Amino acid sequence: MIRHLLTISTAAALVAAVACSKPAAAPAPPAHPDFSGSWVRPLGDRETGGMPAIKDIPLTPWAAEKLKTERPAQGENQDFANTTDPSLKFADPNGYPRISQHPMRFKLIQTSDYVYQLWEYNNNWRQIALNVPQDPDPALTWYGNAVGKWEGDTLVVDSVGYKDSTWLDARGLPHTTDLHLVERIHKAGTNLVFDITFEDKGAFTKPWDAHLIYKPSPDGSMTENIYTISDELRFRERFLNQKVNIPIRR
Amino acid sequence: MRRPLVGSGFSRTFRITAAAFLVATSAFAHHGAASIYDMGKETTIKATVTEYVWTNPHVELGVSPSGGATTELLLELGSPPNIRNRGWTSRIVKAGDVITVTFHPGLRGAKIGVVIKMVTPDGKELHA
Repeated sequence: MIRHLLTISTAAALVAAVACSKPAAAPAPPAHPDFSGSWVRPLGDRETGGMPAIKDIPLTPWAAEKLKTERPAQGENQDFANTTDPSLKFADPNGYPRISQHPMRFKLIQTSDYVYQLWEYNNNWRQIALNVPQDPDPALTWYGNAVGKWEGDTLVVDSVGYKDSTWLDARGLPHTTDLHLVERIHKAGTNLVFDITFEDKGAFTKPWDAHLIYKPSPDGSMTENIYTISDELRFRERFLNQKVNIPIRR
Repeated sequence: MRRPLVGSGFSRTFRITAAAFLVATSAFAHHGAASIYDMGKETTIKATVTEYVWTNPHVELGVSPSGGATTELLLELGSPPNIRNRGWTSRIVKAGDVITVTFHPGLRGAKIGVVIKMVTPDGKELHA
């Protein structure tokens, strides 16, 4: 009898507790748009933006002369066999933003304090630290020192600290260690757009812009695609009969 | 009455143009092809595969038009991730397979080429 009464009182207490509790709160909407996922500029897709024509880039005399001395492996007057492209001649990392012009995918991963950009090409990556000041004296690196902050639905990324040995694109567009990029990353429909402003007093007489548009990658998986100096020299040995003067993996 | 685009001359022209552009850009991820291949010429041959190497910067396909086991002609494809998106895999062909391959031949008589398409022994057509 006593046990029966206890069961009834326990059930009554539970009913009362449920009746007094507040309804469950709806999940809060995300504070920022979700850019995470795999993105690509598909080969042959003409709606993916790109770098401006060279004639529309305000080159300093130094940059114009430097560009003339380069031998790109693409475009008009290409010379693959004798190219000066550091990403082919030395198998150097592409650097930024050249790697983002490559037709392979990248993946974006958002956390509360960093955004990570993972490129399939050469398994390279960069991090964008959120809501922290830019380093006034950053180390010089292939992919720069990037900090970002949200302005509404746009992620604004400021980056400096780039090694000057990289090309900004496959045409041989040069820059100095003063390169400063401001990127405004935002959605446009289902696409992801990077509006990039280039500043570099050594290479450009005034700031200029490029717009790179990425489509969602239908296949979100990322493959390992690491390219080494052995790969490059082996290719040249086989296809161009070029002599290789250092030990390589064959 | 408006003609449907599908099957129309416009559509065929567009498809051919689009296909040509895709082919023309397929080897550009690593290097432009115009300085080592005759991009205005296409050659189609039946040949025996002597080697198929899934590697960077470009997948390599060695063939013997005479049916031998030694590479007489060395052909390149795109980078592994790019051609994987078009149905190629690391074991799609092997040494000894007889294939039909279409390619832009090397300039100045070089025994090299860049693949446009390949038909596997079981009839599967793959574009590079």
